[in-house]
Amino acid sequence: MTGKIDIIIRPLVFILLATILCGIVFEISGFSAILMFNSILEGAFFGSRSLEKSLRWALPLFITAVGVGISFRCGFFNIGAQGQFYIGTVCAVYVTEYMSGVQAVIVIPLGMIAGMAGGALWSLWPGYLKLRYGVDEVITTLMSNFIAGLILVYVTSGPLKDQSGSGQQASTKILPSELRISDANGVSPTIIAITITVGIFGWLLVNRTSFGTLSSLAGRNPTMLKYQGGKIWQLGLASFIICGMLAGLSGSIELFGPTGRVVSGFLPTHGFTAILVALVASYAVIGTAFSALFFGGLFSAALFLPIFTGLPTSAIDLFNAIIALLITARITLGKNFLGNLWNRNHD
Amino acid sequence: MTEKLIDIPAISCRDVCVSFGTVSALSDVSVDLPLGGIHAVVGQNGAGKTTFARVITGIIKPDSGSLLINGKKILLGSVASSRSAGIELVHQSFALPPSFTVAEALEYGLGGGFGFFKKRDLNQRWRQHLEALEMDIDPRHHIRDLPIEHQQAVEIARALSSSASILILDEPTAVLSPSGITGLFKRLRRLSETGVTIVLILHKIREIYEVTDTITVLRKGKLIDGPMQLDKTKPESLTPMIMGAKNLKERISVNSGQNTEIKILDQNAVSRLTAVKQHALEIESVSTETTTQEVSPENMSINVYQHEIVGIAGVEGNGQVTLLRVLAGLSNIRKGSIRICGQEATHLNLSKRRWLGLRIIPFDRNSEGLSLTSTLWENWVASELAVAPLLRWINPMKIKERCKNSMSDWGVAYNSPEQKAAYLSGGNCQKLILSRELNDEARMIVAAQPTRGLDIGSTNFVWTTLESARSRGCGVLLISSDLDELFEISDRILVMLSGRIICELNPPYDMEATGRAMVGEAG
Repeated sequence: MTGKIDIIIRPLVFILLATILCGIVFEISGFSAILMFNSILEGAFFGSRSLEKSLRWALPLFITAVGVGISFRCGFFNIGAQGQFYIGTVCAVYVTEYMSGVQAVIVIPLGMIAGMAGGALWSLWPGYLKLRYGVDEVITTLMSNFIAGLILVYVTSGPLKDQSGSGQQASTKILPSELRISDANGVSPTIIAITITVGIFGWLLVNRTSFGTLSSLAGRNPTMLKYQGGKIWQLGLASFIICGMLAGLSGSIELFGPTGRVVSGFLPTHGFTAILVALVASYAVIGTAFSALFFGGLFSAALFLPIFTGLPTSAIDLFNAIIALLITARITLGKNFLGNLWNRNHD
Repeated sequence: MTEKLIDIPAISCRDVCVSFGTVSALSDVSVDLPLGGIHAVVGQNGAGKTTFARVITGIIKPDSGSLLINGKKILLGSVASSRSAGIELVHQSFALPPSFTVAEALEYGLGGGFGFFKKRDLNQRWRQHLEALEMDIDPRHHIRDLPIEHQQAVEIARALSSSASILILDEPTAVLSPSGITGLFKRLRRLSETGVTIVLILHKIREIYEVTDTITVLRKGKLIDGPMQLDKTKPESLTPMIMGAKNLKERISVNSGQNTEIKILDQNAVSRLTAVKQHALEIESVSTETTTQEVSPENMSINVYQHEIVGIAGVEGNGQVTLLRVLAGLSNIRKGSIRICGQEATHLNLSKRRWLGLRIIPFDRNSEGLSLTSTLWENWVASELAVAPLLRWINPMKIKERCKNSMSDWGVAYNSPEQKAAYLSGGNCQKLILSRELNDEARMIVAAQPTRGLDIGSTNFVWTTLESARSRGCGVLLISSDLDELFEISDRILVMLSGRIICELNPPYDMEATGRAMVGEAG
């Protein structure tokens, strides 16, 4: 039981600590911390229509983070969600390009399948290198992000460039409205339905299949699993593929949904925030929903802050960074700090 | 002259105590090793030899006691102060960076340093050093290209590059071939003639007699005797000192009452089945690829029949770990074949071997047997799921229920199946592993050190369990360095030395003969 309560208490403590540390920085920089947090809360959750705006970011974050969580849980630090997300959008946009004129009910699902396949493939090669040759997946997935970013630049400024566009950022043509599953607000029944489906699928996979139990064992002690005849490479490859698939799906939703086109270098922090979302949730699917909502809210507030308070968007980056630092240090925190706190209260 | 030297000991330990948690690794060890000469420190695994070496070199800080080097008291638990007193340790497994050349490793290998250097100067300087030590090694070669003997020689050269006057070698012969050992001993002799005091951590009696001047025996963290002059000590008197023959008898008398009944039942079963002896496990002339970790099995053949417990005796590091890994399909074999219950299994992976009835109880229950940070039910169900398809539907509630029943049957003391395995005691951990492995389909059980670190009650439980598995018709291969355990439940014992089975022993077992065989004193 302690374990379950820990999973809830721990992130709350991190968020509280991050708030305090951030508050100190805000005060030093000459902003009123109370006022800032008030406007962050309002921007994220309590302002008019702010929950809807938060959901716009939270939904894709959740989809990506479920995949990241599954991979991390299995012991593979696949931090390439950003690149897999990009490749997903690229694959989906090519489907729309080659199938222009075909009915939307065919193009959209095919585009999403292509997005998932592309993301999965983009995750597969670092996975294969890791499992076959022991190449550190942190390095390969990180580098695969940059390659994917360059592919995105190439596609949007080369073969699929929207010639009529005059903006600073190269992009593809905006999709016709019948191919869109949401307006620019990014919250529509279709997207919510897809997100819920992913949530259910992820939860069942983690909690109701042998894959879920085995991947948790593999993440915690692969040696023990080898002595049980477990096939680490199968689990590993599956977790890489699932992570890539979901990031790719998220990318294609971004294309068919709020953005409506592929923009060079768009949403540059999506994959990394998804890692944070998964970490804060301790890779639990239900926890990921809450954590995605929280970080989605922060993201939405980041857009709102400069307009209303004069605080730069980087304030939110600071907040994220502090949480990331605290999470990374959680092993010692958890054992010595929280663990002792818990024992002291219950002995 | 000898007496005068003993007056100022090179190393003088006073009442040194070291404990790890509740386990006492060294208790009240006081010993004086004289200046000059070669001194052996011997004992079984877990006797405290390595801990002793680490206390002297400052790697471990003892809980109490004091340490005098050449008559001067030094700071405990500080590598720097041990080093400045002239002590250098040659590690059991070498710590030189494989990608360095010999000269680079000697210059920067441990401790580092900054600044530019000229390759030629470096090579020149270290060539002279190596030549002075009469080591025929080219300083331009890479560490990874050197044979093991030379890597060790470079370690020794590294240790002697500072002004070391006391050299400690922890199990230096464990990784060497017989000719390498002869070379090492010659080298140590020459070093000792130049005035370096050498302390050798060893466990083979023959080697002790080849090279050392004095011998000190440790057993279960206590000093048994020493330093004894070797020329006044007979080899026969050493074995019982190392093995502890007295302890053995006491423990058997404690246990015998409980096990008699099962044994009688069992002998009946065996006699009934001797006519149709069926193989549970056949290992035929298996050789493995060589590793740096330990001696690898060479041309090894082992047969285990149903209704039989076969013990593998041997000092650790003689190929037991690799043997277990081979059986678990985790180490490749170069030649030979393996059959389980009559079925060809040489090229099967572990999950297929499990289908044939093979069960493995690995050496280290905390890292290989269980995942300590996972819950009890996950640990318990691992073996079942590991051989199932990845998307097999499971119902955790039902699994937890089955796990609870099984744990109750096996007497595991637990709070909840959701609890982490780390919170179980050693005995309960082993019971959990047994409850997972020894189901009805088990035909051939390989148990490695199944009672290491367990108290008497849990030890008895494990023994009884293995014996009742035998009654059911299982074959059991028991790998252990604990002779008490082997004598207690084995139907016959194979002695393993340097990757080979060197003899088979049948009851009644003779402690001394077994001990001598284990340390290479065949007879």
